[in-house]
Amino acid sequence: MSRMSPLRIAAFGLAGAIVLFALLDAVRRSDGEEWIPLWLYPLVLAALLAPTTVGLLIVNRQPRNVIAWILLLGPLSLAIQSLLWVSFGEGWALQVDRATWPLLYAWPVAVAFVFPIGRLLSPRWRWAVAFTVLSFGGFIALALVDPSPFDGDDASVLNPLADNVVGEALRVDTTFWPFLLGMLASLFLGAYAIRLRLRRSTGVERLQTLWLAWALALVPIVLLLCMLSGLLGYALGVTIVDWIVFPLILGIWVATAVAIGVAITRHGLYAIERLINRTLVYATLTALLVAVYAGVTIGLGVLVGGDSPGVIAVATLFVALAFLPLRARIQDLVDRRYRRARYEGVRMVRAFEDEVRDGVRAPEEIGGVLADALRDPLAELLFWLPASDAFADARAEVVRLPQDERARLEIRRDDARTAVLVHDPALGERRDLLDGVLSAAALSIEMARLRVEVRIQLAEVEASRTRIVEAGYEERRRLERDLHDGAQQRLVSLGVQLRRLQLKLPREAAVLSPAFDQVVDEVGAAIGDLRQIAAGMRPARLDDGLSAALHDLARTAPVPVEVDVSEDRAPASVEAAAYFVACEVLTNAVKHGSASKVAVRAVRENGTLHVSVADDGVGGAVVRRGSGLAGLRDRVGALGGTLEVVSPRAGGTRIEVVIPCGS
Amino acid sequence: MRIVIAEDTVLLREGLAGLLEDAGHTVLARVGDAESLLAVVAEHEPELAIVDVRMPPTYEDEGMRAAVEIRREHPATAVLVLSQHVESRYAVELVSADGGFGYLLKDRVLDVGEFLEAAARVAGGGSALDPVVVKELLVQPHDGDPLAELTPREREVLGLVAEGRTNAGIARQLWLTEKTVETHVRSILGKLDLPHDGDTHRRVLAVVTYLRASAV
Repeated sequence: MSRMSPLRIAAFGLAGAIVLFALLDAVRRSDGEEWIPLWLYPLVLAALLAPTTVGLLIVNRQPRNVIAWILLLGPLSLAIQSLLWVSFGEGWALQVDRATWPLLYAWPVAVAFVFPIGRLLSPRWRWAVAFTVLSFGGFIALALVDPSPFDGDDASVLNPLADNVVGEALRVDTTFWPFLLGMLASLFLGAYAIRLRLRRSTGVERLQTLWLAWALALVPIVLLLCMLSGLLGYALGVTIVDWIVFPLILGIWVATAVAIGVAITRHGLYAIERLINRTLVYATLTALLVAVYAGVTIGLGVLVGGDSPGVIAVATLFVALAFLPLRARIQDLVDRRYRRARYEGVRMVRAFEDEVRDGVRAPEEIGGVLADALRDPLAELLFWLPASDAFADARAEVVRLPQDERARLEIRRDDARTAVLVHDPALGERRDLLDGVLSAAALSIEMARLRVEVRIQLAEVEASRTRIVEAGYEERRRLERDLHDGAQQRLVSLGVQLRRLQLKLPREAAVLSPAFDQVVDEVGAAIGDLRQIAAGMRPARLDDGLSAALHDLARTAPVPVEVDVSEDRAPASVEAAAYFVACEVLTNAVKHGSASKVAVRAVRENGTLHVSVADDGVGGAVVRRGSGLAGLRDRVGALGGTLEVVSPRAGGTRIEVVIPCGS
Repeated sequence: MRIVIAEDTVLLREGLAGLLEDAGHTVLARVGDAESLLAVVAEHEPELAIVDVRMPPTYEDEGMRAAVEIRREHPATAVLVLSQHVESRYAVELVSADGGFGYLLKDRVLDVGEFLEAAARVAGGGSALDPVVVKELLVQPHDGDPLAELTPREREVLGLVAEGRTNAGIARQLWLTEKTVETHVRSILGKLDLPHDGDTHRRVLAVVTYLRASAV
């Protein structure tokens, strides 16, 4: 442990003093007459020591924390009473007691003014502090010199300040009123300070304030319960105030201290929303159950008379029966009212799941639904792709994680990452909302992730298929070039050389000339063959465009072909595919379809190339596995296009091809 | 005849040059790309440039574009384009636009006599269109097309006319007398409703233009 600072030493001194005074008080009470039952005494001690302990814990971490010192000084002022009692006798103790009771409320008000950052809301709030100090100080000062005798059980004790001149002159019994009202107003000022703080703060500060607000809000709840139990006690003639209400009131101070401790140390800060929720549910439940119990017992008591064990049994039965359904109902109501964001967020996710089930929406839309449910328009859901260690958005496009001020939350399912939610950092403090909505959406997110993954993989496969087909066309083009510019060229050269030799033959060798003619003819035939092969590879006319190539094709076709092709160019692979479709269909039309006329049309519209080849043949063409048409469909499909065959029997055949041109 | 040759395959270029020189022509320059071709044409103003279609650097249609430019910039120089495969569109356009232009497949060179005749014809302001291209133009008459009214022999003669041949050339090819060819030509032009005058070259232009219009 580090060196003790003077502040820490002082804090421990204070705490020691409080414990000492509390023990002195206990000793005093153990031999005097009881003003509270003995079993309650540990609770009183706890209520006294809880703020001290919390104050000490905070000072240990943050020696200059104003709130910690308020926590330490508050109980001290109360503990001093015991010292007075022991040192100066009962009269002084009673006099001080009836003067200093407001201190019990003074320290919470002080905390409310500066919570949670240790500073006032604004400089103007100094007036509120001054007003509070004046009210409390004035009241205590007046009460200290009050000359009036004690009342009630203590009437026998003599006021040591009876008939004092100052007290008489100040007319304490009337002048204390403004100060009492001032103290009451200070309580409201404290509550108002917390309300303002809640409204103005965000993030951690808001959660801290929420903790204190929760603790202080317990006061009216407990007061309500006091009234209910008082009513019940009155009706049954049983006093249960001591048994229920007093421990509750003491419990509030413990709870307040604990809440402040949690808020300042920020340990478990995020559980406040759940705590508020539970408090509301059980407080309302208790109040309702007490009301039911009271209602039943009073009602039956009037009917059957008296407080028979039967009445109590029936009331207890009612309460027991009502417990579970009431709890569920109240929980739902409280969720709807006080966890509205979470309640509605979860409901949105459920509604979305229903729509997905009905096929109205796609699972990938879950990201947008989350943004709505979490009320964070900037929220973005990115799906994890384990295979490529990357992320993708709902459109199945691989993206990088955004590097901005937004926070990132990893979503896991079965120990595996499924997605990352990029969100407003402020959302991180609403764990309740986040956890609720995300756990409701877990299945949808996983489903969307799988679909996105499949789509990306499919796109990759399609892209590679396109690349393969395009590479095939490129290879054909290269082969065609090689044939023309390589082999064919050399054959022509060879022929030319032969011709020159032939022309230079001496007259006496003229008999060889026909042989030369024959060889050169062979060379010419070989060149013709090569030209045919090269044209089959890929017609060189495609260099001039689809229109030129199709017109060439039409000219050499054995049946009349009507060509209607727009002149604008498409990517080479698209034109090649369209050309081979036309070739194949034309061949089929003549070979199998006994067509007498063929029409070829190709138009570009909306970034696609539409090719239609129609004949007036016998029809009945079907795409069979391994057939030419199936091969064509694969080629067209590889370029992302479609091929449709309309071929009614005896009704001719029409092939419709649509290929995207990518521009 | 004063000739320049543009052909990137050295073996073929030298063979061609030899062939032409053997036939008594003068080969002024032998180059391997379009840029050099334009330079030597500007320098020598030859009567004929023999040009390969595909040449460095892209091996696309440099030769064809150079041919167009030569015809525009140097009307005195005729151009005979040699191609490995049929690229008829350009060729038909050029032949039907003007004389002094020829388009042949490379292997026509092997029929030396025909080749030299075509070269001389082009250099003399006539034209030469490869039979394969002509065949494509002639291949299939539409219904109601006047071409359908031609007899097979007339179609044969029309094809040779389109190739750019003279009546004498056609007569030699078909083993007919020049007079018979003359009669056929007169009949063909009448059926196609084309003007008839004695000029072989204008006749070719008219026929090719007609065929081109009816083929597309």
